[in-house]
Amino acid sequence: MSPAIVVSNLKKYFKVHKKEPGLAGSVKSLFKREYEETRAVDNISFWIEEGELVGFIGPNGAGKTTTLKCLSGLLYPSSGQVSVLGSNPYGRKNEFLKQISLVMGQKNQLWWELPAIETFILNKEIYEIPESEYEETLNELVELLEVKDILKIQVRKLSLGQRMKCELVAALLHKPKVLFLDEPTIGLDIVSQKKMRDFIKEYNRLKKSTIILTSHYMDDVKELCQRVIIIDKGKLIFDGQLSEITEKYADHKIISVIFSKDVDPKKLEQIGEVRSYSFPKATFAVKRGAVSVAAAELLQHYPIADLNIEEVPIEDVIREVFTGKDVA
Amino acid sequence: MRKYFSLFLISLQEYFTYRLSFVLWRVRSLVSFLVLLFFWLAVYSQTSSFAGYQKSQMFTYVIGVAFLRGLIFATRSNVLASWIRDGGLNIILIRPLSVFKVLLSRDLADKLLNVGFVILEIFLIAKIFNLSLFLPKSFLTIVCFLIFLALAFFLNFFISIVISLTAFWTDDIWAVRFLFGVIFLELFSGALFPIDILPGGLKNVLFWTPFPYLVYFPLKVWLGQANRGEITRIILVCAAWTILFLWLAKRLWDKGYKEYGAYGG
Repeated sequence: MSPAIVVSNLKKYFKVHKKEPGLAGSVKSLFKREYEETRAVDNISFWIEEGELVGFIGPNGAGKTTTLKCLSGLLYPSSGQVSVLGSNPYGRKNEFLKQISLVMGQKNQLWWELPAIETFILNKEIYEIPESEYEETLNELVELLEVKDILKIQVRKLSLGQRMKCELVAALLHKPKVLFLDEPTIGLDIVSQKKMRDFIKEYNRLKKSTIILTSHYMDDVKELCQRVIIIDKGKLIFDGQLSEITEKYADHKIISVIFSKDVDPKKLEQIGEVRSYSFPKATFAVKRGAVSVAAAELLQHYPIADLNIEEVPIEDVIREVFTGKDVA
Repeated sequence: MRKYFSLFLISLQEYFTYRLSFVLWRVRSLVSFLVLLFFWLAVYSQTSSFAGYQKSQMFTYVIGVAFLRGLIFATRSNVLASWIRDGGLNIILIRPLSVFKVLLSRDLADKLLNVGFVILEIFLIAKIFNLSLFLPKSFLTIVCFLIFLALAFFLNFFISIVISLTAFWTDDIWAVRFLFGVIFLELFSGALFPIDILPGGLKNVLFWTPFPYLVYFPLKVWLGQANRGEITRIILVCAAWTILFLWLAKRLWDKGYKEYGAYGG
């Protein structure tokens, strides 16, 4: 079986016009424009198997969305090859477009002034979905997302969460084999985020469709994706199992203790790097190899009520990866 | 084809929800119609013939302008420029749709509404001012006029698309649109006055631009002021302009799509 998505040496550079601040800068830019090249995506390669659910993570402006746009045919790559389901997305062939879908958290395809059901019916025609298949898929999605009651309400009167659900229905009616989700949970409250995640997980399990998800929320990625691709400043810096990130980048673990009596903070420095101490709780960052020694030391020489050894939270690892620690 | 028909229908539905803006647009058209009408009423109160136009011919011309404004000028295709700038185009590009055909479907919906109202307005005004309309004598003239309307419709559509497509390269698209879409379109198309009342030199220059083919020439045909040879020639030239702008629109699209930034979202 050939992979659903193959990306090799993808580059997308943008020419950006730089303007000095203020009116003077605007006038100056009338006569002389300075352009700067930004490397939104800089030589990225990866491939994704059919049915995989992969998370793209990276800070704002890292190049996640640009990559998705190249994969869905919105952007013309500066160089490199992209193949999705065996086609070049940029060709915009109808047979290809009928098999993919892109959901953007900040852009809607629903007709703002009309009820969502109108967009669904329009999509039925656009994707040339047979009537019976349309009915079946619609009922299934409406049930899964619990949107039965809001289909006939004008879209602009819906809440953001309701709208996103309807966006998903619209995007999935034609049963895409490849689904790109760009920040699908952005702006949603915690309950709606959770529901959205549950749905995506369930959908991937049931339909075996290939899904790429970008998100700022680590919870999305932690819950949904086994494999993650981390992009920063246009470069791919990690591609692998979520669990490997911690092993690869966190060279220490966290020991947290609850003391039963006050201790001298100065003495604690000997155990390891003190991350925080306010009686009765203290946390230490300790090198992987030295964890058991440090824990034994604590237990033997200090009044301990409770002690825990934990991995560094994935959020922290990724933050460290992004904030300059050279990881290459 | 069915998908574009559905788009046409849903666009109609959408336009109905923007009732106020539609009514205001009609008021605007009606005002420019009335201004033109009063001007020529004043002129013809002194004389019965002006620059070779009989009174009924001139009023037919003015009414014809109002009709063609609704049918030809009124276009929503300029929305393409904002789609390019704010990334709204993404929603179309991601689906099995042709951008030009989407715009055409939406435009047709818009025209249907506009033309419906224009005919109603013209009827009322002709009654109120007791205007007699000049009707072509031969059926062939009417057929030629209809062919012309179709060509002029597409010509204006593709000119508008070409202007909108410049948004791929420039941010201040409104300047281009103002020059072509307002100055050239209003003055050079014959929408304010029949072009042949202008001095010969200027008139001949204008005949080398595509604009007179949108309003002036179709109305000349309707008024029976063009013979067979002329009619054939203007239809061919109009077709040539239409094909040129269609070709230009396709070229610019192919080039622009590579530059497209797909901003937003």
